[in-house]
Amino acid sequence: MSKNNLTKTSRATAGAGQNEAVKELLTGIKDASDKVRTEAWLGAGKAGAVAVKPLAKVMTDDDLEVARASKRALWQIVRHAGRPGANEEKRAVETELIGLLGDDQPVPVRREVLWMLSEIAGRSSIKPVAGLLRNAELREDARMALERIPAKGAAVALRAGFEAASEDFKSNIAQSLRKRGQEVAGYPSRKLVPTKETNVKPL
Amino acid sequence: MEPVRSRQKGNRTMRQSNQLNRREFLAAAGIVAVGAPYLIPSGIRGANERITTAHVGVGGMGGYHLGDMIERREKGQVNIAAVCDIDETRLAGALKKAGPGVQPYRDYRYILQRKDIDAVVIATPDHWHGVQTVHAAECGKHVYVEKPACCTIEEGKAMVAAASKNKVSVQVGSQGRSEPEAYLAHRYLVNGNIGHISRVDCFHYPSPEDNNPVPDSDPPPELDWDMWLGPLRWRSYNKRYCHGTFRWLLESGGGQIRDRGAHVMSCAMWWMGADGTGPVTVEATGTHPTKGLWDSAVLMDVTYTFKNPDWVLTWRQIPDDQLPPAEERTGDEPGGKITRPGYGAIYRGDKGEFIHWGGDGGTWAEKKARQWEPPAGAKDVYKSPGHKEDWFKGIRTGAKTIMNIEAAVGVANLCILGNLSFILGRKLEWDQASQTIVGDEQAQRMMSRPQRYPYHL
Repeated sequence: MSKNNLTKTSRATAGAGQNEAVKELLTGIKDASDKVRTEAWLGAGKAGAVAVKPLAKVMTDDDLEVARASKRALWQIVRHAGRPGANEEKRAVETELIGLLGDDQPVPVRREVLWMLSEIAGRSSIKPVAGLLRNAELREDARMALERIPAKGAAVALRAGFEAASEDFKSNIAQSLRKRGQEVAGYPSRKLVPTKETNVKPL
Repeated sequence: MEPVRSRQKGNRTMRQSNQLNRREFLAAAGIVAVGAPYLIPSGIRGANERITTAHVGVGGMGGYHLGDMIERREKGQVNIAAVCDIDETRLAGALKKAGPGVQPYRDYRYILQRKDIDAVVIATPDHWHGVQTVHAAECGKHVYVEKPACCTIEEGKAMVAAASKNKVSVQVGSQGRSEPEAYLAHRYLVNGNIGHISRVDCFHYPSPEDNNPVPDSDPPPELDWDMWLGPLRWRSYNKRYCHGTFRWLLESGGGQIRDRGAHVMSCAMWWMGADGTGPVTVEATGTHPTKGLWDSAVLMDVTYTFKNPDWVLTWRQIPDDQLPPAEERTGDEPGGKITRPGYGAIYRGDKGEFIHWGGDGGTWAEKKARQWEPPAGAKDVYKSPGHKEDWFKGIRTGAKTIMNIEAAVGVANLCILGNLSFILGRKLEWDQASQTIVGDEQAQRMMSRPQRYPYHL
């Protein structure tokens, strides 16, 4: 067997093994037993990138506990992939997560994914995350995710997002830019400005 | 489940006043403790001048603090200008309790705008402590804030900076430090009665699991859900978040390690003379809830390693049947019977061991510390006049409070790092000088948590 064929065969074998592992993980996640589900999501970390999309599908399962177990399994993958010295694994998980930011995914999944990316994202996430600064439902989470990504490109994307943002969102992005050490003209924070009135009357 | 902390009483006022000036004590004993004045007192000058307070968060411990301040108002110590809560039912109840002349608010920022208010008592869920303390300090208000001080490393840094910059007195509600038997334990330990202490093992019963999970729903009409969430990222309301149960979620509470760890480990840091220091490594393991919204560790085992001096601190949430038995008491002792035997710490020295139970508003020292008579020349330690009295003294004189913000952030950081290690499933290295996790980029990012606008530091 040629070297190329050997590589292809070993990849295929590894792929088949991974598929089996993911299938087993999903079976555990969907199990009726609390204990089995918990064991499944706790052990999900090593399943890695290949399990990200299958798990995301289960995050919106009708069974609340199954959906929750799936979400926790995804977080386990993110926390495992983010460990020191696992850059390749981290990038692979990041790539899969980016694939979940599209309009075809439910908003709660995309929101969760933004926060996952905020912990491990590198430069490749910046553009797709910044794109969500224009999404009315996700823009605040996207802003916060960008704020947390240390790459300089995240600050550049925030600046561009600020310039393009509607008036009602400029102050939010201005806050992130200031947090990143950048100067912003105007749009001072309204953090100390009270806005909420009570209906309770003084005695 | 009703929060465990609701069973806690507040701080008890000590019956005895200081026998000696505390700085004389410290100078004589060479003990690092609360020290020289570190801020210029603002506003309140005379010892008899009433301090005007406002209460932010009036349920749970907030309700206790309000009741305590009402008693102090009767004694002429304080005025109560305002109460604030994001739950209108709770707010109305607090207003009724506080009486005429007190203004109700939903939004604490109205309180911060009022020039007639000197100080705020903050007893909101943990995820609000950092933001509200910083905002209050920026508006020149003195602060009593419930423990744990903060939810992230970044919040703690901001709290210390804001208190220092604005010269306000901050007392954090780890009131165990002010308890009479905490003084006896501290004095007993610093006089070498169990020799050199190289290990402190904190124990606590487990965090609860959510055995009644429910789906998300609309918030009740009396609750301002947006304002409850504040700095946290948006999510739908679920009634298992609040009230009280916030502490079983890692984001808003953090479980027993933060709720009671902020008490028991506060005593450990104080008695070990370790305020201002931090661990070099933190390693946590634990078990997770098997269902429901709550996600804090049920059982937990955290080891903190300190260097120069070398010692080990552990935090363990263990099954009830593994807890050390509580000391038998008749109930006639000044501290009464031990009513909270489920948590405390064992101090291990090269000449013996010492144990205390509780560590919060109920702190019970082992008999040998209570009965120990200091010989001539023995070291003494700071004896708090009571946790609120100590705060009032800080406001009036500028003296550092017994659970000042620097010390409280140090303790909260232990809790935060323990939970971070638990979440990440790996050992963390900590650099105290730079207040940074070393060599782990993901953990470094988790030292802060982006906050929803405009509820930010």
